[in-house]
Amino acid sequence: MIMSEKSKQHIDSCRFCWMCHHICPIGNATGQERSTPRARALGLSLVNREAIDLSEVMDNVYECATCGACVHECVTGWDPVMFAKEARLQAALEDKLPPYINTMVENCLTFGNAYGKNALCQSLSAAINAHSAQTDTLLFLGVDARYMMCAEACKAVAVLDKAGVAFTLLENEAPSGAQLEFLIGKADETAEMMAACAKVLNGYKTVVVYDPEDAKTIKQLYKEYGIEVKATVVTYTAFLASLLKENKLKAQKSDTRVVYQDPYQLARDLEETEEAREVIGAFAELSEMHLNRKETVFAGNILMAQYMPKVIEEVAKRRIFNAKSIGATAIVTASVSEYAALKAAAEEGFAIYSLEDLILQ
Amino acid sequence: MQYQMNKFLFSMILTELEDAVGKENCSTRAIDKVSHSVDYFWLSRMWADRGERMPEADIVVCPENATEVSKVLKIANYYKIPVTTWGAGGGTQGGAIPVAGGILLDTKRMNKIYEVNTDAMYIECGTGAIYKHIEWAANEVGKATMHYPSSLTCSTVGGFLAHRGIGVVSTKYGKIDDMVLQMEVVLPNGDIINTASAPKHAAGPDLNQIFIGSEGTLGVITKAQIRIFDQPEARRFRGFLFQDMHGAFLASRELLQKFKPSVMRLYDEAETSSLIKKIVGVERKGAFMNIAYEGVKELVDVEEKILLDTFKKYGAEDLGSEYGEKWWKEKITFFYPGHMMDIPQMFGTMDTIAPYGKIEEIYWAMKNAIESNFPQAKFIAHFSHWYEWGSMIYDRFIVEGKDVPTDPVEALRLHQQIWTCGVRTALEHGGVVNDHHGVGIKLGRLMKEQYGPAMQVFEGLKKTLDPNGIMNPFKLGI
Repeated sequence: MIMSEKSKQHIDSCRFCWMCHHICPIGNATGQERSTPRARALGLSLVNREAIDLSEVMDNVYECATCGACVHECVTGWDPVMFAKEARLQAALEDKLPPYINTMVENCLTFGNAYGKNALCQSLSAAINAHSAQTDTLLFLGVDARYMMCAEACKAVAVLDKAGVAFTLLENEAPSGAQLEFLIGKADETAEMMAACAKVLNGYKTVVVYDPEDAKTIKQLYKEYGIEVKATVVTYTAFLASLLKENKLKAQKSDTRVVYQDPYQLARDLEETEEAREVIGAFAELSEMHLNRKETVFAGNILMAQYMPKVIEEVAKRRIFNAKSIGATAIVTASVSEYAALKAAAEEGFAIYSLEDLILQ
Repeated sequence: MQYQMNKFLFSMILTELEDAVGKENCSTRAIDKVSHSVDYFWLSRMWADRGERMPEADIVVCPENATEVSKVLKIANYYKIPVTTWGAGGGTQGGAIPVAGGILLDTKRMNKIYEVNTDAMYIECGTGAIYKHIEWAANEVGKATMHYPSSLTCSTVGGFLAHRGIGVVSTKYGKIDDMVLQMEVVLPNGDIINTASAPKHAAGPDLNQIFIGSEGTLGVITKAQIRIFDQPEARRFRGFLFQDMHGAFLASRELLQKFKPSVMRLYDEAETSSLIKKIVGVERKGAFMNIAYEGVKELVDVEEKILLDTFKKYGAEDLGSEYGEKWWKEKITFFYPGHMMDIPQMFGTMDTIAPYGKIEEIYWAMKNAIESNFPQAKFIAHFSHWYEWGSMIYDRFIVEGKDVPTDPVEALRLHQQIWTCGVRTALEHGGVVNDHHGVGIKLGRLMKEQYGPAMQVFEGLKKTLDPNGIMNPFKLGI
């Protein structure tokens, strides 16, 4: 396997270090030793030493959610996410991807999304028709919302309608490249997809990005790929907070007690933690889970649920357990993907809300 | 080395184990075998670093509870297959490595927190819980476990129990063996037993203490009630510099007759001028000592006065609270790659414990033995866990650069020779084979030298409880 010297250095540092063992949401959910950064590093270090074949560790490499909890935890700055992504790229180049990943990659290249979907639900199509006129502001919904969480996408639209915002929705929204980045890392195909998306975004003055994964990709990763976005890109969460401040959204506070599930993309990657709290605080009583803000714990997503559904269900259940431990009966999340995972795992009597749910209730 | 099974029998046994724990919790995948073949033991790390595969289990099982563990052990006993129990792999003595192949029993699915009891002040949990997780559970109700080893985030409750672990505030709150109320244990024959419902009693020998430290050779600890404590109203630190290690011992011994600090760590000159200088920033010649004292504020005020008066008598230079606070903040940083010794260095921690009157002598004897017999090795030490009657030495050797053999067998041989020299010297001067890292495969050969005819007690227990010898073979010297 051809890996960069930088990745090799990080792999060899992490392979015998257990210090982030407690923080990996996947490892905690599976209880499996392999689902830890050090085990992944050990496997890859043995691949680098030709003691094991890359194909024998790739399932394990795809168990990494790339949430960055381990990176955040490491006081010396080692980066297990970086080498996991590079291993994915190498596996793609060496034709050693697990079949279920290969299918999703093919779907991304053919349909623009890993799920192989190409039709939108009727209600979202109607909303898109109603907002097809060109404006200065684009609401970028992302593939998870458009193809897997149609109702949530419609709620996101409804909230901006309620605030009287003039915005555009695209019938053929270009994929951000976030899924391909997750699946095969920094491949030429990923860069091409990102560049094509950036070209569309640059037709607008402001782009409001609904899905935190897309927001992280566009605001942070595009720079790493050398892709320029001239439009002002704001997260949906920050946009809602600004609408609230400008009094375009009218707050009506209820006594519902909730905790906020910080999406790691917002909290750790984009360092955005307070905007959602401002919104939630205006509509409900906010408490904090023990691990919050940059310490947040990944609560699942739609993409990984395609190939490891039981594990993602357990990941979400554990986060709900964290909320229950402090007496909460509801979680609010700003990630449509985490919303899906939490909603699927929540038992009766425990509520999962999106920010839109709070605003529209 | 793998356990010898023909393909047909192997397949039969695999289906039985899948039936016991669920197919998804029973694995023969390469990544699962590899993950469980290298622990924190230097030799396993070196072996992997040289591109060699360590001995691997044939089958990795992850039971969810005692009932499933029982089923696994019954199957293993019937077929006489070795079973090695694995917590999180943070052990330094190779105790969790499946050197004889067979079944690797990973406990981490037994990670439930069943009860946080603030009346009796304990948390009941599965022993596969990472200790940091039960610390979080305690923190959520305003309490703390007060068990803070460097491996807090990467070792399980069961791992600490199996190897008699210890944390940095042990002088006040005790070792892991002081932290347990009751345990559930699965015996090698599959029977599930509970120890007494209270840890102090006169109902015969203490069952807890028979299984604590048994390193998976007598059964599998599956559940434990772990003590929790009130958070201290005040926790203060004071750094001192001693020019004379003897003075530090006298001062510490006297202090411990008066009260128990939480942290007590004395670093020898070599470690003060290396690790302490690098991480805490003490750039002075001498032996640095950090003391923390904590609890109810009024008592802490009194303890501070006693500490300062006592240490002054023995010539300690008061460095104030800054270094101690920095040490507390960085107490785990010491163990991250880039701060801690790591491959390609060769190193080992030969921690030893002994009463006052012997401990200083052991320190100098070990230092002399290592440095004179192995001039390529550097010897550094600190004394980090103290009692009214004695202390422990956390003494390490480091070999660097060209002095580390590249051939793995040669490296193994040198590592063994240095350890044997160091630990045997400790034994000759009245020390104990190990303080808190356990025995594993690393020190098994020295257990007989430690205990002599007393080993028959351990061997008798082993023969009675595990007549087929399936539980963690070649560990603990039994």
